[in-house]
Amino acid sequence: MHILQTVFADILYISLLVHLVLISICFWRVWRGENVIDRLMGFELLTTLTLAVLVLLSLISRQIIYIDLGLALAVLGFVGTIALAKYVADDQMF
Amino acid sequence: MDSVVLFIAALIVVLGTLFSIVGVVGFIRFPDVYTRLHATGKVGVFGVVLLLIAVVVWEHLSWGRGLILVFFLMLAGPATAHALASAAYRIGLPMKGVERNDLVHTSESKS
Repeated sequence: MHILQTVFADILYISLLVHLVLISICFWRVWRGENVIDRLMGFELLTTLTLAVLVLLSLISRQIIYIDLGLALAVLGFVGTIALAKYVADDQMF
Repeated sequence: MDSVVLFIAALIVVLGTLFSIVGVVGFIRFPDVYTRLHATGKVGVFGVVLLLIAVVVWEHLSWGRGLILVFFLMLAGPATAHALASAAYRIGLPMKGVERNDLVHTSESKS
C-alpha cells in the first residue's frame, strides 16, 4: 500500500511534467501557426491541457477546489472558441 | 480494497496521459486542418475525461463535480470541433488528398 502510494505520486508528477511539455508545444503552435484555424485549434487545445493540469493538481494536493477552477476554465474556453470560430467564418460575432 | 482502487486510478492516469500525447503528436504531424482537428478532439474527449474519472474513483468524497465536468466536456468537445471545421470550410481552406467533395452543393458551401 505504501509503495503503491509512492508509485502513484511519481506517476502524477511525471504526468504533470508531460502535460507542461505539451502545453509549451501548443503555445509554440499558436505562435507559429499556418493559418487562423490552426491557431484557434491551438488555443482550444491549450485550454484543454490547462484543464488537465488543474485536474492533476487536484489529484496531487487532494483538494477539490481545482475541479471548480477547471469547470470555470472549460466554460470560458468553450464560449471563446465558439465565438471566435463564428467571427472568423462570418466576419461578425452575433 | 483501497490498493485496488489506487492501482485502477494509476492505470487510468497513465492511459489519459497517453491519449493526450497521441493527440498533440497528431496536431503537430498531420498534413491538413481537418485531420488535425480529428487529432485534437481526442485530447478533450479522452485525455481529460480519463483524468477526471481517476478523480472520481480516487477522491470519493466529492465525486459530483467531476461527473458534471465529464458531462460538460462530452457535450462541448464535439460542438467545438464542428464549429472549427465549419469555419475552416467556409473560409476556403484546402483539403489534402481529397478525391470527391460532397459538400459542394450543400448549404455549407461558400455564399
